[in-house]
Amino acid sequence: MNWVPLMEFVRGPLFYFAILFFIAGMAYRLVNVLALGWKKDYVPAKHNKLGGSIVAFLKGVIVWPFIPRISQTATRNPIIYFAGGLFHLGLFVTVLLGAAHILVWKSLLGFGWPSLPLPIIDWLAAIAIISLIVLFINRISNPVLKLLTRVPDYFNLLFVFMPMVTGFFLTHRLFLSYEAMFTIHVLFVDLLLIWIPLSRISHFMFYFYSKARYGAAFAQRGARP
Amino acid sequence: MVAVTSTKEEALNTYIHDIGGYVAAELEACTRCGMCAQACHFYVATEKVEYTPIWKVDLLRRAYEQRFTLSGRLKSALGGGQEVTSDDLQRWVEYDYYACTMCQRCAMVCPMGIQIGSLIHEARAGLYNADLIPADLKKALDGQLEIGSPLGVDDATFEDRLDWVSDDWEVEFPVDKQGADALLVFSSIEIMKFPDNMADIAKILDAGGVNWTLSQEGREVTNFGLYAGSDEKEEEIALRVINAAKRLGVKQVIVSECGHAYDALRFRIANLLGEKLPFEVVHITEVIGDLLARGKIQLKPDVIENKITFHDACKIQRLGGIFDPPRTALHTLAGDNFIEMTPNREEAWCCGGGGGVIAIKEADTVRRAAFGLKIDQINATGAKQVVMTCSNCRLQFADCVDHFALDWKVSGLAQIVAENMVEEE
Repeated sequence: MNWVPLMEFVRGPLFYFAILFFIAGMAYRLVNVLALGWKKDYVPAKHNKLGGSIVAFLKGVIVWPFIPRISQTATRNPIIYFAGGLFHLGLFVTVLLGAAHILVWKSLLGFGWPSLPLPIIDWLAAIAIISLIVLFINRISNPVLKLLTRVPDYFNLLFVFMPMVTGFFLTHRLFLSYEAMFTIHVLFVDLLLIWIPLSRISHFMFYFYSKARYGAAFAQRGARP
Repeated sequence: MVAVTSTKEEALNTYIHDIGGYVAAELEACTRCGMCAQACHFYVATEKVEYTPIWKVDLLRRAYEQRFTLSGRLKSALGGGQEVTSDDLQRWVEYDYYACTMCQRCAMVCPMGIQIGSLIHEARAGLYNADLIPADLKKALDGQLEIGSPLGVDDATFEDRLDWVSDDWEVEFPVDKQGADALLVFSSIEIMKFPDNMADIAKILDAGGVNWTLSQEGREVTNFGLYAGSDEKEEEIALRVINAAKRLGVKQVIVSECGHAYDALRFRIANLLGEKLPFEVVHITEVIGDLLARGKIQLKPDVIENKITFHDACKIQRLGGIFDPPRTALHTLAGDNFIEMTPNREEAWCCGGGGGVIAIKEADTVRRAAFGLKIDQINATGAKQVVMTCSNCRLQFADCVDHFALDWKVSGLAQIVAENMVEEE
């Protein structure tokens, strides 16, 4: 089979459509929430609220999830804590610092940056994939998660899993020809980009808001976020 | 079944009306990771999955998604989605009123920083407007609205109690004294159950040279409007204290050892009213800390010779930031005999009795189960005396010490400070 026409489609028009859909969809989600209104704060703050937000971010982005912010967080939730943390780490490093991905960023932004050596990226990608499988098993077996999980949450895992695992196969030239696997990989990336605004994977955008608000609230009350 | 339908409509309308940008963004941020369960004393004590903090606000999420999100509206239009039923509302009364003290410990472990305790308040608002609040809470709220107190402290009772406490403990209680700098407000628990606390606080303020007064109108700072989840009633009740303070022209309102009342008056009411309060709101623990720091009162060093520990209250420590003043006092009084619990400060386990839970008879079992965590923590310190700055916690401790036949002494901070002040010559 000649994969080239399909490859040109998924990395051309479909990719650009997916990116536009992603940006527009996320903007819509954000505006939808912002439009519900915000209230002025009349309560005198004990500590600096902006400082509290910054501390909350620093803890969340840099320290989390490898140092517990509150005792027993890690020991009481070891699976979600470590698998969740390693999954995010592996995903972001691969997407931002993998040589192949930097080429895509360069084509989109007009500039690139140095990449990490492939073996490191490869290991992190493998760890992220394994972590995602662990998270899936945890989700179907932990009683709390069984209660909280609904069908779209499984789709979230699937839509993230497919680009990751096809990317891994692509790197190792497994199963299919390079063109075929590349086409499938990019197709799943396109689908993921379209799926994100429709799902809870969009949590990364609301993260900045809820985390800032949490830090500010704790600082206002004189506590350490 | 008209009544049932309208009940449901009331709750949903409240959710839809009350969902502001912050509620929406926090509900959107949740990734259903479930880590909040392990931070909640009610879940940890019972392992009942429905006590997972984020599940307790699931009705709020459903209402939000149906009304405000594209996918939710689409699903509703197609007959899918999870409709909120009257049966659901009944079940959530248990999750939101019996099994949550709004202590915000879950907010601290949430990777997204979602403040579930605040969302529970919104969830309660819907149940309140649907007339589904627990009967005991309703009775307490009605008592407060009608006679000014959930525990039956009307004008005459208040005067009787003051007379009795002044006689027995030899303290004066100025009432509506013009020109006072500070208005002192008690909780009904103190007036009816811990009258010694009233005397102790009066002694401390007198010894520290504070020019203070009580007020007949604003005598009680307890706020069952907050517990019930009604912003309107919370305002109505708080306004009694606010109006009294304005009329007396005080610079400061001192909240006695009451956690949720401090939360309402210090951190909530200005935003409900939409204006800055013309006075400062402080907790008695802050006043004690200030008087000690300025040398206005002094404590006898190392008088406590048995091991003693301190319980951090959710509304005064984790959500009020008053961590150090009680610890400084206890270090002076007990030296090395003051042993910290683990975890403590922001991370402390809640006593399980706050948020109105202790006022609800049906919640007794789960409330006492949650206290099991406190028992383990305190036993680990080896202390036989535990000090706290919240009368609601103290009531929970007193009840559970009795229920579980524990040999601990439970004290308020003001009590232990008043007992051990250096007398002025």
